[in-house]
Amino acid sequence: MADPVTLASIILVAGLLMYALFGGADFGGGIWTALAFGPRAREQREALFNAIGPVWETNHVWLIFVVVTLFTAFPAGFGNLFVVLMTPLVLALVGINFRGAAFAFRHFGRESKRETPLSARVFEIASVLTPFTLGLAVSAAAAGRIVIAGCIPTENVSAWLNPFTILGGVVGMAICAYLAPVYMTVRVTGKLQEDFRKESLAAGLALGILTSLMIPLAHYQAPLFAKRLFNSWPMLFVMLAVLAGIVTETLLWLRRYFWAQLLAGATIVFTMAGFAAALHPDILIGQLTLRAAAAPYPTLVAFLAVLPIGALILVPSLFYLYWTFRGEPSSDLPP
Amino acid sequence: MDDLLAARALMGVSLAFHIVYATIGIGLPLLLMLAEGLSLKTGEEEWHEIARSWIRPAGVLFAIGAVSGTILSFELGLLWPKFMVFAGPMVGLAFSMEGFAFFTEAIFLALYSYGERRLSRRAQFLCTIPLVLASAISAVFVISANGWMNTPGGFRMVNGVASDIRPLIAFANQAWPHQAVHGTFAAYVATGFAVAGFYAADLLRGRKTSQVKRALTLSLAVGTLSLPLMLMSGDWAAEALAENQKAKLAAAEAHFKTVAAAPLIIGGWPDPETGTVRYAIKIPKLLSYLANGDANSVVQGLDAFPQGSTPDPRIVHPFFDLMVGSFFIMAAAAGWFWWLRWRQKEVTLKRGALVLVIIAAPFGMIALESGWMVTEFGRQPWIIQGYLRTSEAVTPNGGLLLIFATFLFVYLALSVGILKLLLRRQGRVEGGKEVLHG
Repeated sequence: MADPVTLASIILVAGLLMYALFGGADFGGGIWTALAFGPRAREQREALFNAIGPVWETNHVWLIFVVVTLFTAFPAGFGNLFVVLMTPLVLALVGINFRGAAFAFRHFGRESKRETPLSARVFEIASVLTPFTLGLAVSAAAAGRIVIAGCIPTENVSAWLNPFTILGGVVGMAICAYLAPVYMTVRVTGKLQEDFRKESLAAGLALGILTSLMIPLAHYQAPLFAKRLFNSWPMLFVMLAVLAGIVTETLLWLRRYFWAQLLAGATIVFTMAGFAAALHPDILIGQLTLRAAAAPYPTLVAFLAVLPIGALILVPSLFYLYWTFRGEPSSDLPP
Repeated sequence: MDDLLAARALMGVSLAFHIVYATIGIGLPLLLMLAEGLSLKTGEEEWHEIARSWIRPAGVLFAIGAVSGTILSFELGLLWPKFMVFAGPMVGLAFSMEGFAFFTEAIFLALYSYGERRLSRRAQFLCTIPLVLASAISAVFVISANGWMNTPGGFRMVNGVASDIRPLIAFANQAWPHQAVHGTFAAYVATGFAVAGFYAADLLRGRKTSQVKRALTLSLAVGTLSLPLMLMSGDWAAEALAENQKAKLAAAEAHFKTVAAAPLIIGGWPDPETGTVRYAIKIPKLLSYLANGDANSVVQGLDAFPQGSTPDPRIVHPFFDLMVGSFFIMAAAAGWFWWLRWRQKEVTLKRGALVLVIIAAPFGMIALESGWMVTEFGRQPWIIQGYLRTSEAVTPNGGLLLIFATFLFVYLALSVGILKLLLRRQGRVEGGKEVLHG
């Protein structure tokens, strides 16, 4: 446990989890902005948009945290992954870029009553594209088709583009689409709350079906991953994820929103922990172990020593941020 | 364009783009803090209104800075995977610490800009303090990584492999202190002058409100006070170059041959074929004096290094002159403005002085960009000085030209969007007093 490689990989997974929970909800907000329908579609969009405003940039920083952790603690993993996954990562990057820009433009454009439909559309498309490509890239590391030979890429596109990774991309989108409306249920009231409740229930069902499909597909498409998932302790996370998912749906049904929100977060944490546990001890399944990809000992120690100092500043600041903007999202935006 | 050139061009364009937003992200918080502080201290609402009027551009520019910074962190892996495998264990610490600072910055900017109705005035002011500190510290940290590329340290090469790695020594490399100090003051200068130019234009257009005058005074004061600090840290940087990065200094000064009592060469066009600089002004002995504090000392020229291992003075020297020249343009504009301000005991409305401030406004940013070109082109052909060539670090993937074209399009789209947004905003303010809510 005190082994620096293990600690650093836990930090990496924790960073990914934070990005999925916060950044994911954020992208989900964009997805539901695109999918909003019914008599209150406009109000739904407004509420989502206003909720994202104060926190999107902070949520986005978790991604930078993951990337930095990757190249500091696992430089060989970073180098190899970015060589083999160049295409999906470039697409994700384009999505991230346009999403952030479109959000800022739309936000400040709306302030001066000059909202453009173009930036709204770009925001929605990028919110769908980014989690899909990121989900695809992450699941490609588990598919077991990538062969690396010292930063030399495989010419084979199916190494990262195959039914398993495509479904992985869809699961990435489903995670986002699931978290956003659940978080919204505790922030709004009345009919809007009912809308978000229905969206949450539907998204939860979709996520459950998709992740269930992932398992038989893994059996055929990513056999090593499936074998590790079934044969030992990672299975525990799968069961916990299923349980948390079912309880969340029940709580949403009973309109117990506060607890539903926490359990929804737990569903995602267990799902991703199961994924990470089945990938363990590799960073690129069957090709590169975490240990082989890790930075030398002194770097890992320095990195781990800096973390608590950073956390000391960050945790209270984050708490203050989310506490200040708790409750009903408002449009009291920068003047 | 081959893949190496495409990769270099993409990295260069990305950084050139990012630097503008990162700079404003460092400078604007200082202006916000000062304005909010003055508002609390004097009890005058106008200072608060000035600060609030900066939030819209700050929000947009900071957001673009965050996403373009993400592009950079991805590009490190997408374009230079071998560099990162080698350098990650040494520069990673700097990036990790920068990450925390940037995180803090994002949090407090969100609190400040969205918290108008949820936080007290005092709390808003207090939020600007961590904002200023975190933005400056994040610059200081991230510059350590660049300093390490210039003066690598904290490891030993054993059979072509970096071993005996000491991350803290790599972090506190030789180039870091002067690059960090110089870069941070340059950011305050660039932001101060850019904002001042904006308000000088307002005055020229006849918007002679006290709010505009105050905003001009504050921003130009920040720019002006940072100018001499930037100059002094620049001098320090040059001395450090003379000691640790001799090839870079030689290229910057277009100094071809190792001689004693070397002249300072201003302007002109370096010709590597003949080893001369055409059309240049030469000041005898000054380079020797500036580099070593002794007018008759020997300064190494480009000929002191193996062929093919030195930077091209045709790129480095002009940018160096542009950087230094920018200082004098800004100093002249600020000098005249403050002289009139002192004589007239009022913000001057003289056309000439205002025009000069407007002309000087972009030169802080120009100085920063060209200074960055000097440090990057001045390190070529190395990505890690003396250890790894840029050509050896590039990704083995093909198709980089397509990616370069894609991101060129992304940057163009963003630039057009930002300009449209900021210029439209400008049209709206002209109507009268600052508008509080849209």
